[in-house]
Amino acid sequence: MKIVARHDEAPGVKTMRLEFQDPIDHQFFKETFRTGMFGLYGVYGEGESTFCVASPETRKDYIECTFRQSGRVTSALANADIGDLITFRGPYGNRFPIEEFHGKNLLFISGGIALPPTRSVIWSCLDQREKFGRVTIVYGARTVADLVYKHELEEWQERSDVDLVLTVDPGGESPDWKNRIGFVPTVLEEAAPSPDNCIAVICGPPIMIKFTLISLKKLGFDESNVFTTLENRMKCGLGKCGRCNVGSVYVCKEGPVFTAAEVSRMPASDL
Amino acid sequence: MTKILFSDKLDKCVERWKSAGFTVIGPVQRANISTYAAVEHAAELEFGLILPDRSIKDLFFPQSEPMLRYTIKKESIDTDECLPPVGPRIIFGARPCDASGMAIDDPLFGWDYKDEYWFQRRNESVIVTIACTKADDFCMCTSLKMAPDSCKGSDILLRPLAGNKGWQVEELTDRGREAFKTIADLLQESSEQAAPIAVVEKKFDLDACVAWLQNPEHFESRFWKEISMRCIGCASCTYLCPTCHCFDIQDEGDTYTGIRRKNWDSCSFALFTMHTSGHNPRSTQSARWRQRIMHKFNYFPGKFSVNSCSGCGRCSRQCPVDMGITETLQEISKLSL
Repeated sequence: MKIVARHDEAPGVKTMRLEFQDPIDHQFFKETFRTGMFGLYGVYGEGESTFCVASPETRKDYIECTFRQSGRVTSALANADIGDLITFRGPYGNRFPIEEFHGKNLLFISGGIALPPTRSVIWSCLDQREKFGRVTIVYGARTVADLVYKHELEEWQERSDVDLVLTVDPGGESPDWKNRIGFVPTVLEEAAPSPDNCIAVICGPPIMIKFTLISLKKLGFDESNVFTTLENRMKCGLGKCGRCNVGSVYVCKEGPVFTAAEVSRMPASDL
Repeated sequence: MTKILFSDKLDKCVERWKSAGFTVIGPVQRANISTYAAVEHAAELEFGLILPDRSIKDLFFPQSEPMLRYTIKKESIDTDECLPPVGPRIIFGARPCDASGMAIDDPLFGWDYKDEYWFQRRNESVIVTIACTKADDFCMCTSLKMAPDSCKGSDILLRPLAGNKGWQVEELTDRGREAFKTIADLLQESSEQAAPIAVVEKKFDLDACVAWLQNPEHFESRFWKEISMRCIGCASCTYLCPTCHCFDIQDEGDTYTGIRRKNWDSCSFALFTMHTSGHNPRSTQSARWRQRIMHKFNYFPGKFSVNSCSGCGRCSRQCPVDMGITETLQEISKLSL
């Protein structure tokens, strides 16, 4: 796929927009991609890395991906320029069943570099805004600089049909920071969204998910109305290479999207 | 009266198969390791081994295999898909545990996405298995509900006659029958009796072990730490295992040209599951050993209705620290009493 745009989100974090070179591949993507699915992005000579498709299912002319530069493949991707070709395999995995969310209030909770998968669901819903009830987004990062999609956060902040709660960890604020200071679970409990007729979508580092699930329980959310996405290391994406399983569940085939009820049935120490 | 292939005719058979276009592969002793390799003459075949150090998995799922070659040009990238080498093969002298190991992995490689590399080789191979008349302390096929003369995964089963004189021939599949047509005139009808098959003592109660593993409470048992304390994470057990199938995908080459390869990988390695963030779901050797046992006797059968173990015992036989599936399941057997 060809890189047609790139954007620096935060220190070490980049977003790329990719366009299909082959119309057949593009057609396949259009027919199969649903929000929540993932792909394997690669640079020949370096290898492949797994991350979500960060663009929504309502915009299929391109793929956007957001990643942190940390290893061999992500460094090569970060160094790739507009016009360069990279490889993509996918879309793989299951999806967020957003038709089932029609008529319901939506609560999105996300931390740091985990906003990209949430953002795919957020835009998939906002692009058909009339089908959903109240939309609340709680997003936190370590520091102000680490917040990703800053221009979109501004857009959501300005929209009257979206409630955005932004927070940074204590010490991560800048002198002009006007939003919350505190960890995501604490801020969530303060915001106290109602669990009535509400679906929660949470993505974040394992530690954030663990404590956010406790907070959601306190707020009265039923585990079956809470969705999350697991991001385990993968090589094939096809249920054969043998590493992404949590207990007997293969994240690449049966996930990456699970309800909190499904996650709580998995052996916690394998997560 | 049964069909007999006498040993002194085997070299002629090898000739016949070679001229019919088959590559003939069999057990051979090489320097310090016994393995399966292509041979020119029957004399190269080593039938005295209980089973070779390496399994026939290598012939279907090589340690390293090119999937595609790439050449990066100014405006485009050329890629050539690499398909496995084509050509019919006869694997003469596989052991029942090795042959059944390949059949165990068929549903894995065929599930959802069909792995052409595996199935091309499967479809072009005739597996001629020799029943075992000898076993050692590590053999455990009977504990896995198989036997030294199991047919699973074989196209032909040979039962040795007493005194290494030859083998009774049992044709099991069309593919086997087809390959043996080329040597039909070299077989003889005879009433020679087969030598008794090996006695392999049952070492654990498989059903009890599986039930213990399926109990979610046992996932966190102290047992896993105790049984795997010695494990050095060398991955020998997974590499020598006929059914272990985990792999990695790596690029080898430079910025302009190279090969994307599928290589064996192992759940014994810490890097196997390590996230980019540094978080590792299976961060201890005991968690990794638990994964191996759970995968073979709980997760895999849950998906494909068959245990991912054929009882060859290589994991215990070759382990540098005397661990292995046998010991682990024996201990679990005791726990479930």
